[in-house]
Amino acid sequence: MSLYPQSQAYGQMQNPPMGYPQPVAPPGNYHYPPPPPAQPYHVDPHTFRRDYTAQLAELTVNSRPIIQNLSMIAQDHTHYADVVTQCIEAHIRRVPPWMKLPAFYLLDAISKNVYDPYARHFSTVVVRLFIDTYEQVDPSTRSKMIEMLTTWRNGAPSGKELFGVITQLAIERHIWPDDASRNVAVSSSPKGPRRRINRRQRRRQSSSRSPPGSSGISAPQVLSELEIVLNQKERAFQLNPYDKVAQNQIAILHQLRKLVVQGVSQEELGQILHQMRTTLSQPQSVPPPAAIPPPSAPMPPPHYGRPPFPPGSSNHLSAAAPQVSYPPAFSQQVYQQPKPEQVAVPDVANVSTVPPPPPVENIASIFSALVKAGLVTGSSSSTPTGAGATAREPANRPVNSAETATETDKQYRKAILSAQVKLNSADIIRQRTVLPQFLYDQLPGQCKHCGIRFSDSSIGKQKMQDHMDMHFRQNRKAGQATGRGHSRGWFISVEDWTNDSEVDIKGKGRAGAPRSMKAAAAADAAKVDAELRALYVVVPPGDEAKRLSCPICNERLEPEFMEDDEEWVWKNAVNKDDKIFHATCHAEAALSKTALAVRLRSEVSSRSRSRTPEARRTPPKYDSPSPSRGVKRKAEDDESKTSQPSEQSERTPPMKKVAISPTE
Amino acid sequence: MAYERASDSGQRRSQEWTLAAETEYRFELDAGTSLAIKLLRGRAEIFGSELVEGKIYLFYEECKAAVFTWQGCTIEISQPSTEYISEETPMSAYANLHVAFEGMRVRALLDAQVTAHPEKATREDLEENRDGPHDAPRVLILGPENSGKTTITKILVNYATRAGQDWCPMLVNVDPGEGASMLPGTLLAAPISTPLQTSTPAHTLGSAATSAPSHISSNALLPLGYWYGHAETKRNPLLMDRLIRNLGGNIWDRWDTDLRGRASGLIVDTPSSFSTSSAANNEHRHNLIKACVDAFRINVILVVGHEKLNVEMQRMYGSRVTVVKIPKSGGVVELDSLYRARVHKYQMHSYMYGERVNPPLGLPSLADASPLTGYIIGGEQSTDLTLAPLSSVINFDDLSIWRIGEETMAPTSALPIGAARVVSEMQPLHIDPSLPGSGLYNAVLAILAPPHPDEVERYDEEILDLTVTGFVVVTALDIPNKRLTILSPNQGSLSGRTAILGSFEWQE
Repeated sequence: MSLYPQSQAYGQMQNPPMGYPQPVAPPGNYHYPPPPPAQPYHVDPHTFRRDYTAQLAELTVNSRPIIQNLSMIAQDHTHYADVVTQCIEAHIRRVPPWMKLPAFYLLDAISKNVYDPYARHFSTVVVRLFIDTYEQVDPSTRSKMIEMLTTWRNGAPSGKELFGVITQLAIERHIWPDDASRNVAVSSSPKGPRRRINRRQRRRQSSSRSPPGSSGISAPQVLSELEIVLNQKERAFQLNPYDKVAQNQIAILHQLRKLVVQGVSQEELGQILHQMRTTLSQPQSVPPPAAIPPPSAPMPPPHYGRPPFPPGSSNHLSAAAPQVSYPPAFSQQVYQQPKPEQVAVPDVANVSTVPPPPPVENIASIFSALVKAGLVTGSSSSTPTGAGATAREPANRPVNSAETATETDKQYRKAILSAQVKLNSADIIRQRTVLPQFLYDQLPGQCKHCGIRFSDSSIGKQKMQDHMDMHFRQNRKAGQATGRGHSRGWFISVEDWTNDSEVDIKGKGRAGAPRSMKAAAAADAAKVDAELRALYVVVPPGDEAKRLSCPICNERLEPEFMEDDEEWVWKNAVNKDDKIFHATCHAEAALSKTALAVRLRSEVSSRSRSRTPEARRTPPKYDSPSPSRGVKRKAEDDESKTSQPSEQSERTPPMKKVAISPTE
Repeated sequence: MAYERASDSGQRRSQEWTLAAETEYRFELDAGTSLAIKLLRGRAEIFGSELVEGKIYLFYEECKAAVFTWQGCTIEISQPSTEYISEETPMSAYANLHVAFEGMRVRALLDAQVTAHPEKATREDLEENRDGPHDAPRVLILGPENSGKTTITKILVNYATRAGQDWCPMLVNVDPGEGASMLPGTLLAAPISTPLQTSTPAHTLGSAATSAPSHISSNALLPLGYWYGHAETKRNPLLMDRLIRNLGGNIWDRWDTDLRGRASGLIVDTPSSFSTSSAANNEHRHNLIKACVDAFRINVILVVGHEKLNVEMQRMYGSRVTVVKIPKSGGVVELDSLYRARVHKYQMHSYMYGERVNPPLGLPSLADASPLTGYIIGGEQSTDLTLAPLSSVINFDDLSIWRIGEETMAPTSALPIGAARVVSEMQPLHIDPSLPGSGLYNAVLAILAPPHPDEVERYDEEILDLTVTGFVVVTALDIPNKRLTILSPNQGSLSGRTAILGSFEWQE
């Protein structure tokens, strides 16, 4: 979740300058904390401290390049974590209130991205620093600080509190003195098997006990968190205006806010708050962080995956906790059902094969629940009945940005053509001074690392952000790779080269390009697969108990209950010629075009039914891209085309990549 | 203009130079020395690649280059071998060329967009595009030895990448003595999206991808190359001709789907033998120029400071190609064959082992330098640019080694009357490493891409049309045990691969 300014805010003052001069005071005016004991390093700590403080002094506005640069330096000098910590603390305490927030963003960035040892170092000072700062700054900065604070709840790579639970609580108690934040303590208590709660059991619990979080939640607290989520969503929406999911969520959030302002009961406040936090920690619904990549590739599990129980009721939960072990991906899913009527959950044998529902359901479900409870008058236009479906829509690049791109093209074209340079020997040697204007004046934004320039249009700023992110990634890679030797790669094949235009243009890490082609192919395959799996067929009334197998792979199709539509469905299924197939199987068979598969598809499925479902499964092929170099996507396709019919004809168990949910 | 000053450390002597607008600071390094340049104020560029203020750029391995400024700047330098400031540069002419090419690119892009999406084109677009079709600049640079062809190529490519238009011009090198981002002996094409860096003659035109992270994509190029195997074009002009046409075909295949790449055009750097006429090679020379013009569909020929060649080209291609004579830079250094041999060693070493840089005396070494010091080596900030090749022992049978044509090829005219050639220039000959005189010891071999997987599609001379996968060096030959010791750039297996021998050797 990005807290850093988006492209709109780039390079601008976060807060009015209030007449302060640009702080370019010479370093001699700074007050230095006493230097740490001398350490046997090549760059001596005094020099480092001086240099870092000098660079820190440039952090007067919320500037991503500066923050990234400073955090890269911190990353490279973890042995001076204490110096960095002291420098940043001194800086925050020294600068006027309107300059404190960017420094906090830096602290935040370093702690989240480098984590060890910085989080440890900062945790000793961050409580006083945060509270002192909070009291000095204006309300809008405060809300930004709260926004940052909430991300600290699960900012650590493990998904726990960034600076530890004690620190987090100490700050939250101060900011929300009504002790509402104690549920942080609950949520961070040992999870272990208790997190692995069977979905059904959790539902039973939610039906049998009183609604959660009913103690001491104030409307202002809920409102402030609501605002934060809303802000995030709106920013995400601005970045990606065609994201219907985000649009829906924003509409819902607005309604919720209205609701809270009008006044609701404690119980509902608790529900809303809980849902809010669940959404907040559902990073999938937020676009990838624009500022700094998440600390680790897998997103930390949502921290508020469990309802915030009143302190007394937690033993009730642990008593009911089963010892069933579910895969972690499943335990991340949040099935909060505020409405008791929906608890009648069918006995589904194999819950874990259910693909996780799109995260949008979290907001959608609370809203629909509230609609049913009569709290909200649901207007059909904004009711997110299709929210789950829209989640599947690829987030297309905004059309209007393409339009502005052609507009920029046109401006550049006009400017270049107006120079009227003729391509002949005489005109070429005429003295003109047109080029510097194109090289420098029209591209004012310069990367401080490699000198590449960008225009100050919104597209140019976006490009520059991407470019800075590239540097950050490469630095990170360089940091992780120390100790491992590097070597010159092989050159790519003609086929890769001629089809490779995208990879070469974007200025990404070239080193892994042959692999990234493969990764792209895998991503494509995964996307297609996810789309297929999202297909479903509604079970005809009365057929719920009917045993049905996919005619191609012979595995059983398990009916499941779709909460959104309140219907029984077969997931990953298509109905072709009155027969139900696994969508993935059918797509693959259609691809293979072999006579055998065609015959199988047209065959009556009765034969298959008698077959025992095969439990053995191979992982999907795209999960383990072959490390060998020359293998191409085409080759893999060929392989799957040829291998499938032979398996079928030998009547071997289906060694297929079907019917495997990503949760396995 | 320049004054010396003792730096803080007292040992190191550094110099500040203030350059007026449109002048350049030129330097030439001796073997074993390095140079650090820091831009203190203003804006400066090296062969079209902009410098960042405050960073320390390192140059090494007999690098010869120039810092040019359009609007004036102050730089701090340390210990060059030869240095001077020149106020007479042809940069203004090169800039005009670039602007003219940009004009062609923007029109070509509009053309391509209107053709690809006629429904989206506005009336204004169509109006602007009415006198089409417009072609992207596809430029062939010709000139005699030491006329700065490669530098002009670099400047023009770099300016295109700096236009802020996402251009991705194709850099083509058909000078087999040059090497560009591969090794000498190859003809190659590489799309360039960020400025080519200058730090060492081992990488004048970018460097090929490694497994290390890189910040500048021109340091991690994925070129497409064919192995010619010799430094001189006269060794096997027929093979050159064929490889040039192969390269051109692949570029056009790639541009089929890449509109912006196609609109960015291409720039071809050529060997000086294309331009120096002598009775013996005149026919080959014209054939090779023609092969380039055809294969790359050249529409602009730049002739660097050579009256006669300019007239010659005007006469031959003036009807369909724009021929422009451009001035030569006075900063061009005369390079002798010994220098080229040393550069070849640097290139081989850099291909296998990466960069080996020692900052000038008085500056902190790379290992101790913090990012705050701001060392930049060929555009990269990383302090560790070394690579680890793999030395392995393989059986003779693991690698099938070939040579194209006879090693010494007498001209056809020298053959007895009526006698036909036994081995043609294009015939692949298998090499048996166990025979004496195989020429494998210390030889540089090009590993080729695998042949067509389908037997039916294969043909006798397919080996001539396979691209290069990488280079290896035979470091030891054990004939009794039928084993080769091979130094290869990475851990990839070589068994079953095909390799071609050229005339290049390398010894560490």
